[in-house]
Amino acid sequence: MKLSRRHFLAWAGLGALGAVACEGFGIREGELSIQSPVSLPEDLVRGKDNWYASLCRNCPSCEGILVRVMEGRAKKVQGNPLYPTNQGKSHARCEAGVQALYHPDRIPGPMKRGGNRGSGQFDPISWEPEAMSTLTRQLNDRGINAGPGRAVMVTKPMRGHLGLLTRRFAEATGIEHLTFEAVDNNVYRAAVKNVYEQDVLPDFDIENANFILSFGADFLSTWISPTRWNRGYGEFRQGEGRSNAGGRDRGTLYHVDSRFSMTAANADKWIPVRPGWEGYLALSIAQVIVAENLQAPGVDVEALLGGDAGRQMLNSFRPEVAAPLVGITPEIAGGDPAEFIRKLARDFAGHGPSIAIAGGSAGAHSNGLFNVEAASVLNWLVGSVGAQGGVTLNPEGPWNGVPATASASPIDDFERLAQRIRTGDVRMLLLHNADPAHGLPGSLRLRDAIESAQDLYIVSFSPFIDDTSALADLLLPDRVYLEDWGDDIPDPAPGYQTVGFQQPVVNPLWDLDPRSFPDVLLAAADGLGLGDRFPWRNYEAMLKESAEALFEENRGSIEAASADEFWTALLRRGGWWDESATGPANPRPRAGLLRDIAQSASQPAFAGFGGGDTVYLAPFSHNSIQDGELAHLPWLQAAPDPVTSITWQTWIEMNDVTARRFGIRQGDVVRIESSQGSIRAVAFLTPATPPEVVGIPFGGGRRHGSDYATHLSWGDGRPGPESSNVNDILEPTRVAGPGSLAWAGTRVRISPTGESVMLSKMEGTSRAVEVGLSAAEEIIKTIQPGNY
Amino acid sequence: MVTKRIDHKWGMVVDLDRCTGCQACVVACQAENNLPINDKESFQQARAYEWIRIERYWEGEFPNVKARFIPIMCQHCENAPCEPVCPVYATYHNDEGMNVQVYNRCVGTRYCANNCPYQVRFFNWWEPKWPERLRNQLNPDVTVRSRGIMERCSFCVQRIRRGEITVERRGVEPMTGESIPASDRYLNYQRMKDGNFLPACAQACPTNALKFGEQTDPSGPVYQYFEKANEQYDKAHHGEYIDESKTRVYRLLEEMATKPNVIYLKKVDKYPIGGAAH
Repeated sequence: MKLSRRHFLAWAGLGALGAVACEGFGIREGELSIQSPVSLPEDLVRGKDNWYASLCRNCPSCEGILVRVMEGRAKKVQGNPLYPTNQGKSHARCEAGVQALYHPDRIPGPMKRGGNRGSGQFDPISWEPEAMSTLTRQLNDRGINAGPGRAVMVTKPMRGHLGLLTRRFAEATGIEHLTFEAVDNNVYRAAVKNVYEQDVLPDFDIENANFILSFGADFLSTWISPTRWNRGYGEFRQGEGRSNAGGRDRGTLYHVDSRFSMTAANADKWIPVRPGWEGYLALSIAQVIVAENLQAPGVDVEALLGGDAGRQMLNSFRPEVAAPLVGITPEIAGGDPAEFIRKLARDFAGHGPSIAIAGGSAGAHSNGLFNVEAASVLNWLVGSVGAQGGVTLNPEGPWNGVPATASASPIDDFERLAQRIRTGDVRMLLLHNADPAHGLPGSLRLRDAIESAQDLYIVSFSPFIDDTSALADLLLPDRVYLEDWGDDIPDPAPGYQTVGFQQPVVNPLWDLDPRSFPDVLLAAADGLGLGDRFPWRNYEAMLKESAEALFEENRGSIEAASADEFWTALLRRGGWWDESATGPANPRPRAGLLRDIAQSASQPAFAGFGGGDTVYLAPFSHNSIQDGELAHLPWLQAAPDPVTSITWQTWIEMNDVTARRFGIRQGDVVRIESSQGSIRAVAFLTPATPPEVVGIPFGGGRRHGSDYATHLSWGDGRPGPESSNVNDILEPTRVAGPGSLAWAGTRVRISPTGESVMLSKMEGTSRAVEVGLSAAEEIIKTIQPGNY
Repeated sequence: MVTKRIDHKWGMVVDLDRCTGCQACVVACQAENNLPINDKESFQQARAYEWIRIERYWEGEFPNVKARFIPIMCQHCENAPCEPVCPVYATYHNDEGMNVQVYNRCVGTRYCANNCPYQVRFFNWWEPKWPERLRNQLNPDVTVRSRGIMERCSFCVQRIRRGEITVERRGVEPMTGESIPASDRYLNYQRMKDGNFLPACAQACPTNALKFGEQTDPSGPVYQYFEKANEQYDKAHHGEYIDESKTRVYRLLEEMATKPNVIYLKKVDKYPIGGAAH
């Protein structure tokens, strides 16, 4: 078209008019130009989303969560900003809650075994009357009428009302109740009892600490309450007033560990020690503090030492003696090892508030209790117990009789269980979210005992098939936590009484028919004629009754005019807490504590293989799938391990030096052999693993259940080369005292199998090191403290 | 009535001294943005989808060894190398500091991925698949990308838009639901937090290593760092000397002058290997 002057003026006029009109309507000029459809607000999905407060049950710390629900479907899990422990933050494990909810491999409804035990064939049945009547009949025949202890229930350690209800049910029916965790914290709990005289776990005020000395506890990754402590860690490094001149120093973290863990990777200084000798280093630090009078003002060292005998005993740990035992070389120390320990002790005592944290692998040796106690007692010496930036002792829970803490049963109980199943003494096994067949050391042979038992009836209440519930006769799937009621008393609490409440955020999907485990227990009790001991209509009513008791106490975070109002506010906030209900004030250590701990010093014992051709095996909890309980969640399998970046596979991490010594290359399938058997894992070479140590994560080698957990197996029921269960080769050594498994007390032989696979990892094919030619090209730039 | 939109300038700050490499951001992003499940093969083929990823770099040898973590996501560059090479304008820069991908324009040339120095663009080689039941989790606010197109971090634009609609258009206080006076309808940091409008990674990050907000909002957590970064950038472009050893603020691959809207704060290294900090 030929553009005439008239046309031009007409178009120009219209354009100007349009611009004026659009401005008048409020459409921004920029929107008339090219605009992405994705950024147009009009294109947003309409619909009301609701955010419900609840609790995450994917890890024992039970974070407070908010769940976004839209059109009846849960979409996203986030931290609940009001909840005192995690304060709005979440772990990868919390996020994956929605995958458990909509998992393709959930058990759809009640089922009974169809084929042979372990064949995986189950036939659907109805809840009423078949499933419930079978349950009550079997409970009657094999439990109540057969005598106490003939039926055994294995669950996770359970706090709060689920713990109370299960305990009462077990008492009423004569069932023996065992609690199972593949990687338990019993050693740490025993140390807390002995050192702080507390039943509930203490919190660490990491946010306000200046110096943290951690022994074997991977507290930034998996140990006890990592989300809470990660939050504190962020503030510890770069919190308000932490950085520039004039403010408080940036916190300093030293990590003592025989393996290069995620916490070690984040430490200012990682001190690699010989496995199991952490306690000697801790007492050596104590010796320097005492000898140089570095203890905090007001600390009665004489009372802690219990006199001269204690002092003399402590002197046997002086740095010159301890350094070579612990394995601190001049290379590690950057000079004289004894002087390094002295300087560490001076820094620890002089740059407070300081915290000594101990647990994890330090406690998983035959002398684990000594290691953890020796490290924990340092907190008394530097006056950290009960102080700001130190160890915060926690109060008991707000309800009498409702467990505020729960620990796993000692490993001997499970050995006895396997034995009793073998002899036919146990006639019924009830399982809830516990997978002892996978998580117990292979030497206990629980799986074999169950498989060969003649007259054993197994009921599983787990919502997913795992290695133990695959052997069940009756599957009565529980609801997953986003569909169910519940509560939790966090352990550790954040320093004051806290209760979290869990509410169903969605109903189960139309094709699923799970039933809440506590409701099934209540119905079973009714069916067994025990209804008078369980006066609640359902679990929700039980929780409501306890909430009413809280309301009547008239204290804490919720002010309400009526019990109903209180209940609504409780669910909206995701819990109740009372900041004035704190732990014991002015705690004092027991006289002679330091002496007693020094007296209990012992060396770690390694059963099974020894000698120059073996290396220490350092198993560790997987950052996302933990001990394998979450192996069925694809997001967590695909979340790279922080240190190695490996996904899906079970790897064995070893130093380049170790690999050369045994003729192993990256990606080789390695045979790992202990006196208990052998497994295979894919080699990952690092510059960081100590040359005498190899690390393998827990959690692999699942044989049954979701394909996400097992599809890496050979297919004939044996774990494949890329997924192995490290429990299978652990020596059955116990930790003296609490009787837990000393899972870090195994030595192994390693050799290449000749096979090789491709590692499934985020890192590229070559090792990620900085390769920039100049400082400007560096990816991760660093700066020294004081320079900014 | 259509109201006038407020201009924003979003930015992210990554504090490497806080980051522990825990992967909470990675999974939070996958949950929010309908990323396909990364199976073993996708990692082996280096085709895993992680809009935000944690890279780990080694330094030194045992016993003096360190692993350092860095979260890397689309840097939302001001001078984005991915943009001019797109023949169909599928990727372009909006005036809020964001690099935006228009999925229905993308024809899959992959030029943008070739040109991105940060390797943060992901091509859909296959149609993404989820087991039927898992599809219930998919976020209705986010398009599921089909085979043959490019995708990458959007700063969770869907959350920001929800925030803008809630606060600036409808004038609703996200925490209380109360009406906001017309003069105060501004999506500030507190309202982003209250309404869950922060990007999923920053929302989840347990150590608060990821901070997000308006670059010009002094109440937000990124303001002071962008002030500093822009000052450094201007100085550098005027040939003035910047003492690199005295500042924590830097941009990734700064020498390429892409000027990202993501800035990094250096890792504080108390005991550098070899005795000197970089």
